[in-house]
Order: sequence, then C-alpha cells, then structure tokens
Amino acid sequence: MISVCDLMHRGVLYCYPDDSAKVIAEMMATHQIRSVAVMDESGEVWGSVSMLDLLRFYGKDLEQTRADEIMRPYRIEVDPQWPLEEAITLMKKHKIEHLLIIDPHAGPKRPVGILTDFDIVRHMSDIKVGDFEQMLKIPSP
Amino acid sequence: MEETVMHRMKRGAITCRDECTVREVAQIMVVNRIGYCVVVNEKHEVVGIISPRSILKAFGMDLDSTKAKEILLPYTITITPRSPLSEAIELMNKKRIDHLIVVSDRPGSKAVYGILHGEDLVRVMTGVGGAA
Repeated sequence: MISVCDLMHRGVLYCYPDDSAKVIAEMMATHQIRSVAVMDESGEVWGSVSMLDLLRFYGKDLEQTRADEIMRPYRIEVDPQWPLEEAITLMKKHKIEHLLIIDPHAGPKRPVGILTDFDIVRHMSDIKVGDFEQMLKIPSP
Repeated sequence: MEETVMHRMKRGAITCRDECTVREVAQIMVVNRIGYCVVVNEKHEVVGIISPRSILKAFGMDLDSTKAKEILLPYTITITPRSPLSEAIELMNKKRIDHLIVVSDRPGSKAVYGILHGEDLVRVMTGVGGAA
C-alpha cells in the first residue's frame, strides 16, 4: 500500500506572515510552484497561499498586502504515514490542490513536506523515471 | 482601457480526445509538465478540461478503461479573447481551476483558441512581462 510519504516532496517553501504578496508572487514564479506555506519564525505553520488565492489580488497593490491577509488558515493535519487514499479524500472534500504534511515526531504544526495533486497524477501515469527521461530525450540527427 | 484575456493568454493548447483513457491523459500532463489537458471531440470542438484534481476522481478505478469524458469538467462557460481579465480571474476562483480555455469569439465556435494560465498571470504580478 502506498502512503503519503512515498509521493510527497520533502521540505516546504515558505514565507513569513508579514511578507508582502509580491514576495509570494516572486517565489511562485521563480520556483514554478502553485502554493507557498506561511510560517512564523519558530517554524510553526499558520496557513498557506495558493495561486488562486493570490490571483484574487491581480492588479491591486501587492506591496501593501500581507501574506496573513490572503492565506487560508492551516486546519488539516496530514501524517506522512497515512495511506494515499485518505489524503486524496481530503483533497477532494476541501477542493484543494496541495496538502501540508505534518510529522508528529517533528512537533505540532511543523511541516516536513507537501503533497500536491500533480504528484499523485505522476504516480497514476505510471511513467517510471527511466521511461520519463527516454520520452523527453530528443533523438540525435 | 480594461485589460482583456487576449493580452495574457497563450495561443494554442495541449489537447486529447474524449475517448483517451485516464492513464493516457495523466501521461500527457506529466510528459508535457502541464496542469491541464483540453478534451476535444472528433470534430475538434471543446468538450471540457481535465485538471490534476479531475484525475484524482479516477483514483482506485481502472485507469486503462476509464475514459477522459467520464472525469472531465464540462465546458460550459465561454471565455473569449475579448472577455475582461477580471471576469476570467473571478471564474478561475469560482471553479477552483488555474487554467481557462479561450475559444474564438465567432458565434457558435467551439474551436480552442488558446489557454489562460494562472502562472502567466502570477508572472505579470511580479512585474515581469508588463505591469498588472
């Protein structure tokens, strides 16, 4: 049985609650990601900002908008040892595209990774790492 | 002048047929590194769009026999190149989808004209590629 920790990304890209929305937009564009965690200086997670949350502020003054004004508060606890089905049920129920993964051994509200819907699609596509490289390979003339 | 979809969309889109299996659609997304796939019928008319979240609907089913048309988000709302960008963003949030299909504004047309990508809009918000 496949569990959350088999597919999740280790590590979380995060910003601080008083960072501006512009910082978040730059992080998303630079790292080509769709969500950023909001954490305080102690490493405790407050919430997350998805691309859609950020797009609501399109055309507005991003420098004057703080991360804690646009974030969705973190409420969903996901353990890395959970079966994947449970994580998918949560994603469908809450209509979200990413889950922050909290390791109980690392302490409460301390994220150790992130699981996105695209990670699950990659698993479902059944493309092995070697095959994937082969598909991307441009044939030499 | 109000910014329209035309200013920020990309021409063309990656498509699949409605008869494709879910496994094939997942492979198209992974190989092309995209978060959507536009579903068309045999006349190349838009039927709907598949996002990674639509693929999750098929988790646990037989991915090699479930068809794209069974999981797609039906195409019902028309966004044309002349639609205001604010309307498109509102729609993205309402449908919780970060890609929108843009169709030609000829009456009755259901041919794919392009795609409006959420990530392109975020890039504009950073100040790269024209101010928001």
